[in-house]
Parts: sequence; C-alpha cells; structure tokens
Amino acid sequence: MKNRRKTAILLTALLAAAVTCALAVGSESLSFFSLDENQQAILYEIRLPRVLLGACVGASLAVAGAGLQALLRNPLAEPYLLGVSNGAALGTMLSFGLFGSIAVARPAFAIIGAGIASAVVFRMAKSRSGMNVERLVLSGVIVTTFLSSIIVLLTSLLDAARLRSFTFWLLGDLSQATYQGFYLTLIASIAGTLAIASQSRALNLMMIGERDALDFGVEVKRVRLVVFTAASALVGASVAASGSVGYVGLIVPHLLRLAIGSDNRLIVPFSALAGAIFVVFADTVARLAIAPRELPVGAITALVGAPMFIYLLRRS
Amino acid sequence: MIVRKFVFTFTIKSAKLTAACCLFMAIGTFGCSSARNSSTAPGSRELRDDLGRAVRLPLRIERAVSLAPNLTEIVFAVGAEDRLVGVTTYCDFPAEARAIAKVGDTQTPNVERIIALKPDLVLVSTSSQLEAFADTLASRNIAVFVTNPTNFSDVMKNLERLGELFGTQAKAQALIDKLNSRAALAEEKYAKRSPVRVFVQISKEPLYTIGKSSFLTELLTRVGGDVVTKNVETAFPVLSKETALALAPDAIILSDSSDNTEPNEAFRNSPAVKNEKVFRVNADILSRPGPRLVDAMEIVGAHLNGITTTPNIK
Repeated sequence: MKNRRKTAILLTALLAAAVTCALAVGSESLSFFSLDENQQAILYEIRLPRVLLGACVGASLAVAGAGLQALLRNPLAEPYLLGVSNGAALGTMLSFGLFGSIAVARPAFAIIGAGIASAVVFRMAKSRSGMNVERLVLSGVIVTTFLSSIIVLLTSLLDAARLRSFTFWLLGDLSQATYQGFYLTLIASIAGTLAIASQSRALNLMMIGERDALDFGVEVKRVRLVVFTAASALVGASVAASGSVGYVGLIVPHLLRLAIGSDNRLIVPFSALAGAIFVVFADTVARLAIAPRELPVGAITALVGAPMFIYLLRRS
Repeated sequence: MIVRKFVFTFTIKSAKLTAACCLFMAIGTFGCSSARNSSTAPGSRELRDDLGRAVRLPLRIERAVSLAPNLTEIVFAVGAEDRLVGVTTYCDFPAEARAIAKVGDTQTPNVERIIALKPDLVLVSTSSQLEAFADTLASRNIAVFVTNPTNFSDVMKNLERLGELFGTQAKAQALIDKLNSRAALAEEKYAKRSPVRVFVQISKEPLYTIGKSSFLTELLTRVGGDVVTKNVETAFPVLSKETALALAPDAIILSDSSDNTEPNEAFRNSPAVKNEKVFRVNADILSRPGPRLVDAMEIVGAHLNGITTTPNIK
C-alpha cells in the first residue's frame, strides 16, 4: 500500500518533470521570461501540442500493451509485435486514400484496422490446446509481414513526394502534432484506459488461468472482447496521430512488473504514466539529437526497445 | 518499427537478390558462347566514369539506355536522342522521351528488358543498386557508365562527357556555352540586389527542405537568394518546425507536387506568407540536375527579385 503510493507519486513527479523539460528545450532556445510573438507561437503552437500528443500516445500504447499481456498471459504481447499497429497503419493509409483530409476518418479507420488485425492474430494463435508463446509470436510475425507487404504495395502506388512523407510517418513521428490530433487521441486514450482498468481484477484472475477465472465467475469472453476492443482503440488512435511508435507497450509494463509486481490494478494506471514519460522523453531526444534536423521518435523507442525484447525473449 | 521495417526490406532484398542471382546464372550459362562470338568489335575506346571505372565502349554508340530522368534530359540536350532506346518510367521530359521503351524505374530497373533492347551502353546515376548487374551487362558486351551529376558544374561537365560519349561534341559544347552565358546573365542581373532570405519547401509534412550540400542551395545563392537553411547538414534534411518558424523567411519556394501546394503551418506568420511571397516551382525543374537547372535559376531569380509574370499563390 505504502509502496503503491510512493510509486504513484514518483511517476507523477517524473511525468511533470519530463513534460517541463520537453517544453523547455528544443531546436530553438526560448527566453521564458519574455517570450516574443514568435517564441509564443513556438511554445504554444508547436511544442505544447507535440508534447501533449506524445504523452497521450505513450500512455495509450503502454496501457494497450499491459492489457494484451495480461489477457494473453504473455510478456511478449505488444501491439507492434502482434501486427496491431500495422493494422492501424494500413487503416490510416486507406483513409488517406479514400477520404483524404477528413481528420476523424483516420483514427476511425485505424481503430478498425487494429481491431481486425488483433482478431486475426488471436484466432491464429489459439489452438485446441490453448495458446502458447511461440504460436502467438509467430502469428504476430505473419500478420505483421503480411500487412507490411500490403503497405509496401500501397506505397509503391504513391508518387515520390507522398512516399517520402509516409515513410517518415510509418517510423513513428510526432512532428505533425496538432491540437486536433491530440484531442482525438486523448478521447481514445481515456476511454481505452478506463475500459482496460475496469477489467484489471478479472485480468488478475485470468492470469492464473482461464479455467480458474471461469470458476471465480469471470466472464472470460466478455473480458477478452473489452480488452481487445480497448487495445485496438488505443493503438488505432495513436497510430493515426503519430505512426507506429514501437516497443512502448513492451518495455513499459514489463519494467513496472519488475518494480511493483504484476497486480493489474496497479500496472494499468501506472503504465499510462510511465508510457507517457517514456515517449515524451524519447521524443525530446528525437528533437534534440541532430537539431535542427529531426529524427522519427519511433527510431529512438526501437533503439531502446529492441535490445529489451531480445532480453525478454531469452528470459521467457 | 525501425527494426521490423529493416528486417522486412532485407528479406525482400535478399529474395530479389536470389532471384537476380538465378537469372544471372542462367544468362551466364546460356549466354557464354554468344557473348564470346560477338565480343570482337572492330574498334573500341576506354572512358573513365564517375566511379573511376575504366569503361570500354564501341567507337560509336548506336543504342543507349538511360536509367535516370536527368540523364535522359542530358542525352536529349546533347543531341543523341535518336540513339536512346530505353528510359525509365520517370523520364517524361522532353515529351518525346515518353515514347521511348520503358525499362522500369531508377531504383528497380528490369535487367531482362535492358538486355532485350540490346544496348551498347547503359547510363546509370546511382552506383549502389547497380553494381550487382553491371557485371552481367558487361558479360553481354553492354557497357555500364555511372555518372551522377549533383551540382551545376557537374551538369556542365556531364554534358561535355556525354557529348564525347555519343560523338556529338560540337552540339554539346554549343549548349554548354549557351547555358553558361544564360546562367551568367541571370547571376549578373540579380547580383547587385540585396539577397532575399528564402526557404525551399520540398514537402510540407514532414518538413523536408534543402541543406548545406544541396545543389539548389548553391543555385539560389547565385541568383540573389539567401537560403535560410544553408548551414543545415545534409542535402535534403527534415527540419524542426520550431526552427522553421524562427527562421521567418521573406520568401518561400514550393517544389510543386500534390502534397506540397501550400507552406507549412509553421510559416503562417512569416513575412513570406504575409507579403504573399510564396512561389510554386515545377518540382522536376528543381530536382533534376540536368540542363534545366538554368531554367530553375532564371525562374527562381525572377520570383525572388519580384520580376515575375507568374502569379503568386496565397
């Protein structure tokens, strides 16, 4: 109990610090005590929406990861590795093609894409004897590669200029942040997090085993539906706003479980905080590393995440 | 994402490579005898390409394939278009280039189709992807000449070399003189004016622009432009929007393409947008290091110095 409080305070303080730092630094230095017109625009129109969106995306992806890992009883279940992100990316591209500039169509299509991809992976991974790690990871790889090839096919139909912007976006890029994108992501982020948090008791029981959970009166099918839908919404909205920022859903919940154990009532809300910290921090690095040029934030998260994935794979 | 993407492209590439290897082996076995028989050309010469490779060429090039739109433009400009038998899908200028057989695009040319066209020479602008099939083509007596002009003086040198290659030196030299004098005229015209702080927007999202090593930076400087990103590393960097906003350029050149028809939001309050100094320029003219670079100089120079007949966009 005491520990939980400490962690909550620590994470909140860290998030506040990360956001403050992220707002304070950038390719342009601002004199905060006397902002001129341009500096105000830089702070409020460029930096602030980007940091807010980054926090939202980080929280969403980490919560989606935590939910999927608990549901599938598998520490390697991660939206990106399961192909859910690619489903969302394909959805976003289709909405670009079909509806162009309609902003709401993008997250809507992305969420549908993420939902279909996760349903397919789940079906493929399930066998009569239940679900095992290898089958799940393999299904994820297959769906991811299949969707990647469709994305490659689609991009080859684009002209060179559009291709360039899509490539950057696909790697996970927050530079295109707007308040509109932030609000849309925020709505999905809050709804998805609440939905998964509401299932955390049931998820705790399901982590012991689906049969045991059934014995305790958990409606396994309903929990599964809620978590999959919520994860798809979280991932879909994030991808629509910022492309595929990989590995957040993998390393954030895992590190938290190492620190405070695997009670999902804690892991889910803390994942939201820690995920936000991680992406805000990673994006600050992406903005500063080669300033005034930019790196896609997905490159930074993958740089940290991929070695972590190998480590987890060796442990499991 | 990045890891996955790399793994993915790697698989595709290795699959392609395997397929290509099989193809080459097949050609190797079946093609050996014919290659030997036909290799006794009456005379040949040797020229060094941009990679420093000694390329053996027949005395007269009868059939050539160009694998880049700027090289196609150069071949036309030096008056050797009648010997161009294959070009890429990107090669759309001059209009006559559209009628020439297509051999795929610059990144993924179709080797089979190139061989089927029986060229004596293939002009290549990128060395990396093509090293693999240069040997195959060489074994079929098809010379691969790598040349990659990246700035104005390169283009001039290139015109000269391709003139030499095709034996149209006189026409090439006349063109070089004309282009040089047009460039000098444009330069002189705008030299006395005070430079205009200009931003070149290659794409709106992400914000691609031109940097230190782009030929456009050099070119714009010559016609009265003070390129605001002239100190940014690389040729075509993605620029931070905060920096873009802080740069507050007085003029913006948009490389005209479907998703780059207006300035990025970061420029909303810039003098360029406020004073309607935003100009769309044909992306092909801006992006191809070929003879039309002088057109680019003249067009941009006229825009920057307010002597322009094309209307601004708002």
